[in-house]
Amino acid sequence: MASANVQETKYLTEFYHLPEFKGLDGYKKNGGYKELEKALKMQPQAIIDEVKASGLRGRGGAGFSTGMKWGFLPKNNEPRFLLCNADEGEPGTFKDRMMMEKAPHQLIEGMIISAFAINSKKSYIYVRGEYDDSINSLTTAIQEAYKAGYLGKNILGSGFDHDMDVYRGAGAYICGEETGMISSLEGLKGQPKLKPPFPAVQGYLKKPTIVNNVETLAVVKYVIRDGAAHYRKFGTEKSTGTKLFSLSGNVVKPGNYEVPLAYPMKDMIYGLGGGFKAGRQLKAVIPGGSSAPVLTAEEANRATLDYENLAQMGSMLGSGAIIVIDDSNCMVQCLANLTHFYHHESCGQCTPCREGTGWLDKIVHSILSGKGRPQDIELLIKVADNMKGKTICALSDAAALPVLSFVTKFRDEFEYFVREGKSKVKGTAFAPKGDANVGH
Amino acid sequence: MSDTKVKCTINGTELEVKPGTTIIQAMTENAQRIAHYCWHPGLSIAGVCRLCMVEIEGNPRVQIACNTLVTEGMKINNTSEKVKDAVKWGLDFHLINHPLDCPICDQAGECGLQDQYMEYGKYNPEMAESKQKKHKVVDLGPTVVLDSERCILCSRCVRFTDEVSKTNELGIFNRGDHAEIGTHDGKKLDNKYSLNTVDICPVGALTSKDFRFKQRVWYLKDSDTVCNGCSTGCNVKVYFNKEGLFRVKPKTNQNVNGHWMCDEGRDIYKFVNRDNRQLKGRKYGNGSWHEEGHAGVAAKDAAIFLKGAKADEIALVLTGQNTNEEYEALLNTFVNIYKTKNIYHWWPHEAQAEQFDGLLLRGDKNPNTAGLKQALTKHGISTKWADLESGLKSGKIKQLVVIAPENVFQYKDLAQKAALFGQAEHLILATSVKFPGIETASLKTATLIPLKSYIEKDGTFVNYKGDVQKFKKATTVVSEALTGVELAHLLAGQSLKIEVVPTADLLTAESNTRKDQVTLDHRKKNEFVFNRGRL
Amino acid sequence: MTSNMFQLSEEGKQKVLAELKRYESRQSAVLPALYIGQKENKGHINAEVIKELSRVMDIPESQINEVFTFYTMYNKQKIGKYHVQVCRTLSCMLNGAEELTAHLCKDLNVKMNQVTADGRFTVSEAECLGSCGTAPMMQIADKYYENLTPESAMNILRGMK
Repeated sequence: MASANVQETKYLTEFYHLPEFKGLDGYKKNGGYKELEKALKMQPQAIIDEVKASGLRGRGGAGFSTGMKWGFLPKNNEPRFLLCNADEGEPGTFKDRMMMEKAPHQLIEGMIISAFAINSKKSYIYVRGEYDDSINSLTTAIQEAYKAGYLGKNILGSGFDHDMDVYRGAGAYICGEETGMISSLEGLKGQPKLKPPFPAVQGYLKKPTIVNNVETLAVVKYVIRDGAAHYRKFGTEKSTGTKLFSLSGNVVKPGNYEVPLAYPMKDMIYGLGGGFKAGRQLKAVIPGGSSAPVLTAEEANRATLDYENLAQMGSMLGSGAIIVIDDSNCMVQCLANLTHFYHHESCGQCTPCREGTGWLDKIVHSILSGKGRPQDIELLIKVADNMKGKTICALSDAAALPVLSFVTKFRDEFEYFVREGKSKVKGTAFAPKGDANVGH
Repeated sequence: MSDTKVKCTINGTELEVKPGTTIIQAMTENAQRIAHYCWHPGLSIAGVCRLCMVEIEGNPRVQIACNTLVTEGMKINNTSEKVKDAVKWGLDFHLINHPLDCPICDQAGECGLQDQYMEYGKYNPEMAESKQKKHKVVDLGPTVVLDSERCILCSRCVRFTDEVSKTNELGIFNRGDHAEIGTHDGKKLDNKYSLNTVDICPVGALTSKDFRFKQRVWYLKDSDTVCNGCSTGCNVKVYFNKEGLFRVKPKTNQNVNGHWMCDEGRDIYKFVNRDNRQLKGRKYGNGSWHEEGHAGVAAKDAAIFLKGAKADEIALVLTGQNTNEEYEALLNTFVNIYKTKNIYHWWPHEAQAEQFDGLLLRGDKNPNTAGLKQALTKHGISTKWADLESGLKSGKIKQLVVIAPENVFQYKDLAQKAALFGQAEHLILATSVKFPGIETASLKTATLIPLKSYIEKDGTFVNYKGDVQKFKKATTVVSEALTGVELAHLLAGQSLKIEVVPTADLLTAESNTRKDQVTLDHRKKNEFVFNRGRL
Repeated sequence: MTSNMFQLSEEGKQKVLAELKRYESRQSAVLPALYIGQKENKGHINAEVIKELSRVMDIPESQINEVFTFYTMYNKQKIGKYHVQVCRTLSCMLNGAEELTAHLCKDLNVKMNQVTADGRFTVSEAECLGSCGTAPMMQIADKYYENLTPESAMNILRGMK
């Protein structure tokens, strides 16, 4: 099924196979901190321009132009913060964890360069609390960087000061939303903040703040190393560069794979991912983390992994988490897993999301237990539709989109379940594992 | 800030607003109706109820009006089908886990959910799943009870304790649809402003221990007046029916009290009700009290005593609890007719008068000390309290007229003063409240004259900073009692026709409705219930 | 009251005070302080811990409790010596997470979220732990155990001291 030539393009991950790349010495041996030296001699605006020219788009999920985001900062000397979003919580995503564990200095170097570009004297890496190894790896690496003079006062004699710290999250998906993360870093519940004002104007402690994903910040080093033109050689006009994809689900060889954007989905699944266990075949793919609308097998086989193509298909590239579902699975059960997730993770601030995520979850679980009513399928669509675009952040949309796509694309399975009181695939209903009321 | 106004069109009406005005401000300030729960003009913007949706021309998505600034030329509406549908669903999300227990809920009749439902409700509810269970009848503290299932998590109360009272008792704990308002482990919602949380609660989640289960709100009328609890002079609404007053709530006045009032001020209504009032004129002589009929008769009798006395044998005691009009009338009687300047200011709060808690509460527990001082100055009166004491002791002062304070809870020296006043050969005590301790005080002769309370008369108070606040009579509780002005005329020997109104017709004030308030048409029709005794 | 009053150790208190100075705002210390309190209170947080943190940090109890109840990594109930958290989200589910959890509960003879009779284990479900490529997996005391089968997972638990 896959093309003959399926291999990774190891651009960011070139040295990830070397255990020594994790420590400062090994990192320096393999080109580490050279771009920091280079960048500190550049004009900050030139760095921003280069990043803009590279076409780099945020790797955390939204895919917004990084250079443009930096450009929203006020043009004055007001103190500003750079925050690295390492609250990797989108189901299916595990690339940032690998980057922080295998190459912490790569991130730190990218961050110092970015901080220099936007004139920020303080940065935080907000790591999800569960990622203990990442936190330890970063903490050690930051200490090494301070000792080596890459952090602190007058970095490498440039006159640029910068401090960096790690902040540990405590278990909340919503902290991956940039203003939720800022609230959490401020020691509050991780509830997203009203926009406007946007973080670039008023973020952490009401100061201008840039929030970028781990992978995004690491890429900055390579844009400085090779230049925007080189970076643009990967991918397409609007989806430039390589990207780390987290492949999981029912494939034989799940894992993180670095490929240029616009890489064919089927090469990812059947080539790098090794296809399916004997006798199994593709049923559906969630292409960009659990919030991305699901693709049918037919759609997945013609999809390419870039922002435009997946948007055209009504889905999204998101965080680059590809969850592959084979034909042994019941789509009602899969959706119930996700509605439970969003019900559990809604921060509870905005009414449509707080109430809607629970409602969706209860309806889907009611169907799953064989007690669905015929009108429940339309009701799911109506509820989900009315949760879209009505809230402070995108979690409400993220909860609604899987519901809409699962129910419309695999409607026969939902109708069968409601009609027969059992799964079309598995032949049984699923007893509720306790009340959907019981949550945290 | 520049003075140039921003032009916009809201629901077809062209408006000009100050730069920096949000759409919801523009709408509420211009009498346009817009559904909202979490927004409150006195609190920060939360933007969480997602009900104040508006459509802005050129923007495909509906936006919340509370966090969107009006910009030049903006065309806004909240009447399109798109907005109505968004609000309808927004309301349904609020209701799916709501217990719908209106018949036993104190908020019924003034509930945001009921109001919006009449306007936007999804009359075919589709929620068939089990509802979230949350805490009921939570004793939050001395004044407030919480029903978490009714709560819509608008966060107004939490923002109030964080931003206004700055007492931080409340929080929203847990997340998602498990989130609940609460205090931490036995800590009480206990501050001097706690009942404002009940006022701003748009639903029946927070109810007042004092008011709950007392009256259905549709059996109450309301009227504006000025609080007489301290020298701040908060603008308030009093709620009453023929059975008396039931509660007091703040009325917004940015210049005086903003949107709030203190808990202390809410208790004052209690002494206005008949149980606590001096209803009849009475006389004391030969060691016992005699019932003596009407106030006017008592006042006329008192006038006879005054007329028989010399100018320097007459003295008058006033407190800062009466209106400017009453001071003027009384001073006119005593200064111009009885030619006495033995007029004394009873003011136990003088030493603490400058105390202020930073929000509203002031140490001077009188609403009109400033008015009294102005009146005394105008009539050239400057006396020392010690002169009154020595005058009474020596027997020089024989006819002592005391206009007693209404807010007796704030006069800690009542017994002591009763003993002092009792030294007069004849004490004429005019009081609206049953004067505590007067029954047991040692007196020579005395006349008790019932007075009206502050809600039963028109008048003017001058607050601590000189704001002159006029107010109208709200209602009548003791119709036979006299106002200070009437008393002044009667004491001067003039005759006065006093109309005694039958109790059943005492409801004289028009009820007030906010311009932006969504009202239920049938609620107005329900006014027959005021006469339910006759049904 | 005083008998069950929780107090931070001197070391814990110093750590909390250091966190208060570490960030631009004192409030930022709430999350780290809750971790310190949880560690000193045998792995979970109760009202007494919140009160102690409020005293030490001079931050209102309600605000600390808001944070505590918002995040899942602060335990609301007593847990076993080893908190076995099995990821339940989609990629792990597709690879047998439900069977894994059921197996562990059965073998340990314990219901989900409860402590085994010997006080050693609590099994609970967690939402996506970011280990989807090595599913199914579990986390015990900050450490990830990946590519599990019911048998291999039980072997790991048996190996716990």
